[in-house]
Amino acid sequence: MTIPEETLNVVGQSVPRRDGLGHVKGQTVYVDDINIPGTLHLKMVRSPVHHGKIKHIDFSEAEKVPGFVRALTYKDVPKNIYTILCLIGVGPDEEPVLAEDRVLWKGEQIAAILAETEEAAMEAVSKVKLDIEELPAVFDVEEALKPGAPILKPWGTNYFIYDYEYGQQNAFRKVRFGDVEKAFEQADYIVEGRYDSSPIEHAPTETTACLVKPEPDGRYTVYTNTQALFFTLDNAALILQIPFNKLHFVGGTVGGGFGGKVDVITEPIAILGSMKTGRPVKYRYTREEEMHVSSTRSAWRIYMKDGVMKDGRIIARKVTSYADSGAYNRHTPYAVTKHAANVAGPYAIPNVWIDAYCVYTNHQPCSAMRGFGVTMASYAIEVQMDRIAETIGMDPWEIRFINAYRNGDIKPHQKVVEDATLIEVMKAAAEMVGHQLPDRLLAMNSWDRGK
Amino acid sequence: MATKAYFLPTSLNEAVSLLAEHGPSLLVMAGGTLAMPLINEGVSMPELVMGLRRAGLNYIKRSDGVLSIGATTTLTQMLNDSNVPFLQEAAHHVGAWAIRNMGTVGGNLFAPPPSGDFAVALLALDAKVKLASKKGTRTLPLTEFYTGFLTNALQPGELVAELEVPLPKGKTAYIKYGRRQHNTPAIVTVAAHLVMDGKKVKDARIALNAVGPHPIRAWNAEKALIGAALDAEAIRAASDAAAEECQPFTDSIASDWYRRKMVGVKVGHALAQIAG
Amino acid sequence: MPSKVVSFKLNGREVEVMVKPLMTLQTLLREQLNLTATKAGCRQGGCGSCTVLVNGEPMMSCLLPVEDVEGQEVTTLEGITPAEGLNPLQEAFFEKYAIQCGYCTPGMIMVATALLAHNPNPTREQVIEAISGNFCRCTGYAPIIEAIQAAAQRTNGRK
Repeated sequence: MTIPEETLNVVGQSVPRRDGLGHVKGQTVYVDDINIPGTLHLKMVRSPVHHGKIKHIDFSEAEKVPGFVRALTYKDVPKNIYTILCLIGVGPDEEPVLAEDRVLWKGEQIAAILAETEEAAMEAVSKVKLDIEELPAVFDVEEALKPGAPILKPWGTNYFIYDYEYGQQNAFRKVRFGDVEKAFEQADYIVEGRYDSSPIEHAPTETTACLVKPEPDGRYTVYTNTQALFFTLDNAALILQIPFNKLHFVGGTVGGGFGGKVDVITEPIAILGSMKTGRPVKYRYTREEEMHVSSTRSAWRIYMKDGVMKDGRIIARKVTSYADSGAYNRHTPYAVTKHAANVAGPYAIPNVWIDAYCVYTNHQPCSAMRGFGVTMASYAIEVQMDRIAETIGMDPWEIRFINAYRNGDIKPHQKVVEDATLIEVMKAAAEMVGHQLPDRLLAMNSWDRGK
Repeated sequence: MATKAYFLPTSLNEAVSLLAEHGPSLLVMAGGTLAMPLINEGVSMPELVMGLRRAGLNYIKRSDGVLSIGATTTLTQMLNDSNVPFLQEAAHHVGAWAIRNMGTVGGNLFAPPPSGDFAVALLALDAKVKLASKKGTRTLPLTEFYTGFLTNALQPGELVAELEVPLPKGKTAYIKYGRRQHNTPAIVTVAAHLVMDGKKVKDARIALNAVGPHPIRAWNAEKALIGAALDAEAIRAASDAAAEECQPFTDSIASDWYRRKMVGVKVGHALAQIAG
Repeated sequence: MPSKVVSFKLNGREVEVMVKPLMTLQTLLREQLNLTATKAGCRQGGCGSCTVLVNGEPMMSCLLPVEDVEGQEVTTLEGITPAEGLNPLQEAFFEKYAIQCGYCTPGMIMVATALLAHNPNPTREQVIEAISGNFCRCTGYAPIIEAIQAAAQRTNGRK
């Protein structure tokens, strides 16, 4: 049943943005625009080394700075170790709000300083004396998985353990479909590729920030530019061991997120600061912190080996992928799961083997960003498709038309294909760029293989 | 710490007196485009700061073929009022509009690599720096002002008061190669000034930026051109010499390998531009 | 050194403020005067979200000590927003979807205001160069450039 166009008031129309007027008048209120008298500023003491054992912290000089109010360490945090995806059953907890005896990345938060002014807080931070024994660090995903690499996680590995809750202990997200080795033997061509990407920083124009206000009724109002209000509220409540209804999160106005404001980083410690001082607390990232501390998109290394027939059909795909999660989980275990579900591509490949690792290194922790897990998979898949086309001497459009999955095909992770549209999109794209596709390809569609 | 005092002297005399009185604990700034980011970030925490915006040091005077430029003349002023295309081009390639309205000619001498895209043009024109202190003034060639990475010839109590820039006598070319067209750090910047004697090169100045601890002269490249006709062979020889003698570094903008390669390419372009 | 009293013209009105040494115009506007249209994206002069006009010229307020604007004329977005409705640039930004998160918008509008005051009929290249000090992470710049050109057209190239 089609809906008559005359009845549509919103679909197909250009609708002015609700927040547009506020934006062009400069009246939209962002977290840092809120000024509450008596607000304390929070600045973080951060690890100067990539990997180390904390021996001692000396606050005595910092305490003398005029305007210094107090320092917070891990001892002040009710539940210091957490992992943000615990809310969807991911575990175990592994990231400290404030470092305990070790630091796993350069920039990791060690202690929070609260002061009357931002300058006083910065000065106090600079006067905190850290005694850290530097440990060997590892920065390469494959090096991190070799025996002898410094081990970063308390459970003794440098990888996230998948399916532990089902009694299994997989070092990777595993997909098995058909028999790739047998198919490789039958293939006319073997095409291999290695695809590496770098971490990417979202660099939103507005930096990460929150402002906590203690209310007379014992609740805390938290103004925050998190992209995930309820997610952050829940995690904050768990970390602070307080009932969820003690927190009132106010937000939704984000000066650029792109996935960079989904980690629960500033709120719990700022709320704790407010709890311990009875004062409003503002914690805003400097631009340096936004670049060097806030999560990035993870770097990926993807190895692809395909078995291809003369007629262009890909009959086998074996993928080994490594996501560099940096020092902590954050959203990466989920990214790797998404990756495993998508790295075979929108193509009907009868034999697929995927091992996708979530690896820990001493890099800045990574997290979500625009299609994380799948964006880099798309890059690898499509460059690989072009490589295949070049290797077997086939037109790169044709190789995709032939292999595109159709409705009813089974994907490698056992989902049935529904509403496939790759072929229709490619036809539309070819038309837009003025590329004439041969009739044979124009006759194809996504709902059957025809002919 | 929060700055305890901020001075805004209204004359050069007042400025050097304050400098003499407070010594190295006084941070001197003009446009603030270099000093304020560090202060805002908490990297620099000066107790005392002196701003030179009101010290009467922004002027451009022309006399006897020499431009005397006050140290706090802004890059926008150079762009709009200097009437020297070579220097206008250079000023144009520093930062963006608002930064040029604040950043100064003198300040650019202190910009850490790869910045310094205005100063490199001054090098190519044999500019001199006039330093002032309570004791008086002294003038030295810009080549001698730079003494190393983030170091210079300033003695305690001295500040940069003026740039003396001989107007170009020959043909000039300025090429900045960055990752973007505007508001971008340099991969390499070339500032060239050649004086011809008929078809032969009589005098050559080739200054490079972003391939050394500060803007540098490509001395060997210059030598390769003296007395030669400005043909493809001479241009090739000079470009190769420049690529060899430069001291590129790797940063987030470009690798040292790439910078060196691009010196060879861009010096060639600049000389070809002059050859016409 | 105690705080200083500084007098200057802000959005057409004479104001007198008391500032600590080296307090920036950005901090004064945002934290003391509650004029928060001027934003704080980097405090390094790198993003342009703090752009204000001083005597009609764009400057980065995060790098500008308040004492330096003694006796000068400062204009912020609050000063060019009409009491009712929008000015032509604001209208163009709104209609052309030159806004997403909105954080770069005040800076963009201030620079565009100065551009059109200097050059009522800028070419596309001139618009691009004018806004080259303002970073937008959302729109990809194209709608912003269009909006500025549209605003120029609407005022028929007149000041």
